[in-house]
Amino acid sequence: MKKSLLYSYGFLIFLTLITALVSNSIIMSTFAVSLIMLFSAVKFLLVAFQFMELKKANSFWKMSLSLILGLMILLIIFIV
Amino acid sequence: MNTLKIDYKNIYYPPGGILMWIIIFLELITFGMALVAFVYYGQQEPEVFHQSRLQLNTTMGAINTVFLLTSGFFMATAVDKFKENNIAKSSFYFKLTMLGGLFFLVLKSVEYYHKIESGISLETNMFFSFYWMLTAFHLIHVIMGLVILIWTNYGMTKENSDTAVEDVEACAAFWHMCDLIWLLLFPVLYLIF
Repeated sequence: MKKSLLYSYGFLIFLTLITALVSNSIIMSTFAVSLIMLFSAVKFLLVAFQFMELKKANSFWKMSLSLILGLMILLIIFIV
Repeated sequence: MNTLKIDYKNIYYPPGGILMWIIIFLELITFGMALVAFVYYGQQEPEVFHQSRLQLNTTMGAINTVFLLTSGFFMATAVDKFKENNIAKSSFYFKLTMLGGLFFLVLKSVEYYHKIESGISLETNMFFSFYWMLTAFHLIHVIMGLVILIWTNYGMTKENSDTAVEDVEACAAFWHMCDLIWLLLFPVLYLIF
């Protein structure tokens, strides 16, 4: 079993727990929404780059996915 | 150990294949636009969205996130083992991946059952229209992913198998796409309102 996959998995679970903690412990504000969406974006990128091995792909794919994700997250934070 | 080599740095050969990545981008853009529309409508009716969100079971959503992430981890390990030509181990991790997917389906069904029992439907309000549409479309992708996993696992374990690493990677990419979509759906539907 690859150690990098195991570490990524551990971090993903940690981020999921942190997200649950944040959403339960603080009142929803723009800051809280931004924090939750930021954790979500990190998890998204970890799955894409580590599990889907996008880290090995051409920069075009890495940048395209990051751009689409960034745009989506920013729009959501901006509207909320 | 013999490890297969593909030139992933070539723009035409991302891991999983270019066609699968085009599908992934189209899916992400589609779900992304729906989520942006959901948040936009949430700003028009903040109280309705807040009260509706409180009717969702956040714990179930979080557990489902863990199921999908665990399943994704097993999938990545299965691909890794396949590349090392360890088909038996790869098949074992394929089965664990499917188990994660099945757990997700079971928990989602329980969640749907509670909603239907409470009389919450597609027509309840705008929040639940989006909730049902988005989660049901995601669920269809998970079911499709499970079918692809079963088929690929069958293909690679049969005698004289011609399953190539590209096939396994494409199957894995589709499965991980379900993770990616859920990682966006979960916070927006279950947490931020």
